[in-house]
Amino acid sequence: MTAILTRPATTAERAPRPSVAARRTFVGVMRGEWIKLLSLRSTWWVLGSTAAVMALIAIGVAASLDSLMGNPMTSQGLGDLNGAALISTGFQIGMVTIAVLGALVITGEYATGMVRSTFAAVPTRVPVLAAKAIALVVLTTAVAVIGIALSYLVTIGKLSQYDLVPSLGSAETWRIFAGTAYCLVAAALFSLGLGALLRSTAATVTASLTVLLLLPSILGFINIHWVQTVVRYLPLPASQGFLPAGDPNQNLGSGLTATTGLLVIAAYAIVPLVCAAFVVRRRDA
Amino acid sequence: MIEAQSLTKRYGDKVAVDDISFTIPPGTVTGFLGPNGAGKSTTMRLIMGLDRATSGSVTVNGKPYALHRSPLSEVGALLDAKAVHPGRSARSHLRTMAATHGISTRRVDEVIDMTGLSTVATKRVGAFSLGMGQRLGIASAMLGDPRTLILDEPVNGLDPEGVLWVRHLVRQLAEEGRTVFLSSHLMSEMAQTADQLLVIGRGKILTAGPVQEVIDSVSGTTVRVRSPQATELARLVSGNGVTVTSPEAGTIDLRGTTAEAVGEAAAAHGIVLHELSQQRASLEEAYMSLTQDSVEYRSDVAHTNLSPHTNPSSRPNQKEENS
Repeated sequence: MTAILTRPATTAERAPRPSVAARRTFVGVMRGEWIKLLSLRSTWWVLGSTAAVMALIAIGVAASLDSLMGNPMTSQGLGDLNGAALISTGFQIGMVTIAVLGALVITGEYATGMVRSTFAAVPTRVPVLAAKAIALVVLTTAVAVIGIALSYLVTIGKLSQYDLVPSLGSAETWRIFAGTAYCLVAAALFSLGLGALLRSTAATVTASLTVLLLLPSILGFINIHWVQTVVRYLPLPASQGFLPAGDPNQNLGSGLTATTGLLVIAAYAIVPLVCAAFVVRRRDA
Repeated sequence: MIEAQSLTKRYGDKVAVDDISFTIPPGTVTGFLGPNGAGKSTTMRLIMGLDRATSGSVTVNGKPYALHRSPLSEVGALLDAKAVHPGRSARSHLRTMAATHGISTRRVDEVIDMTGLSTVATKRVGAFSLGMGQRLGIASAMLGDPRTLILDEPVNGLDPEGVLWVRHLVRQLAEEGRTVFLSSHLMSEMAQTADQLLVIGRGKILTAGPVQEVIDSVSGTTVRVRSPQATELARLVSGNGVTVTSPEAGTIDLRGTTAEAVGEAAAAHGIVLHELSQQRASLEEAYMSLTQDSVEYRSDVAHTNLSPHTNPSSRPNQKEENS
């Protein structure tokens, strides 16, 4: 049936003009996402632990130098190494915490129902995803800088004993630091994209960490040609195209060129996000 | 103004909203009534563009919600008091919403004051009671000073003072010429707050119209007579579409006639009356009779077997409406 409800005769024929100035803009959506991120304690915990973990791993690696240098098997390789690679070894574990942040930024909204408020305010939805991605890039870059700076400062004493302090005047040093930050940002975006697709925090974190960290070492044992090809294009091995392994014992070298490595990592960051943009628009919130 | 045209939503095999059309005019409070699972929340989500209609369309103030350039100025919605991240403070939550539309922090503080949340605005929402959560939901609905308000169970969890406040607020908003569409399980609340009703059951509109009309159309009016000669009077007036029931000796309830007709018949035959009154059914009675066939999750108390051998499937199944 069609229900036409009538307006009572007593009511004036006036639709009030909203007295509150309001206009949805992308800058506004960005600000909204920024406030969202900074107003949650979990954000600060994750960012703090990322920087802390990176520094702690760097301390651990630096502390191992005594035994590594004493061993002729490894001392040779270390001598050729840029100290920057040693300092930024911790980024692999930093990827874990930063991937959790990337996931939570979107799955936290689905888990709490916040996403309905978000999509009611921004019914076109895709700007929300874009704003989240930009906010994540900014925060992750900032925490990568802090993490690397911290790692540099806490290891400088030990590294100087072996003349491994990276020269801040060397392009190679900055290439490694930038590459480290690049990987962290990509991990955050990869997780955000997956999170928007999967919506569940547990599923997203599991899937994300499996691809980012676990698969290369697990599949490394399977000596089948095509599996090994897949492994070369997984994020961590691909990153070795532009980041020399900090630990010479760990050889994940993929044989990819630096450019290919950068492109592969970019694909991990972008492809899930683009898929999510299509899916999020059409799906029930 | 909210206009739905043949709006339909299916989730898999289940039809949640089944080809409904309605127009909610501005300047009124329209109550949306229906049992759990009737499709109220789904309809509201479809209006807000949160769920996509399987077919049909719904517009708010002339456009699908998602096409408005400033959605929060058009529609304020309380869809679910829990649509908030519990780790954020009430004020931060409102600021995130306000920021998307460039709404000033002054307005944020205004709606906090308006909803009586000033003392808890900096507390984390996770620690809020249901009632405070509802107030926060209403605060976020009011942020953009919208022309249309959609409130799903706004008085749920509020204390009596809060219920009264919501009632005054929605009346005032409608008097300002806004469209107010609210759902509630509390029929007595609807009777006092709403101008008109849209009653839904199993995804279909059962009836719609001004509150009193809905009640009358469903239950009709009953004339109650107490008389020492009740049996004689019953014989006189019965038939011709008039039905007689007798709740107790000496009392009869007549349907399908008026108090005037009964009084005249009694006078003409010299029958003594001790009481002659028109009984109006309550909204609650009307609602029960309207929706009795469309209750999705019936709790059949009479058939509940509480012995230890109870088959679990025969237990009353009182699910909360999917939110």
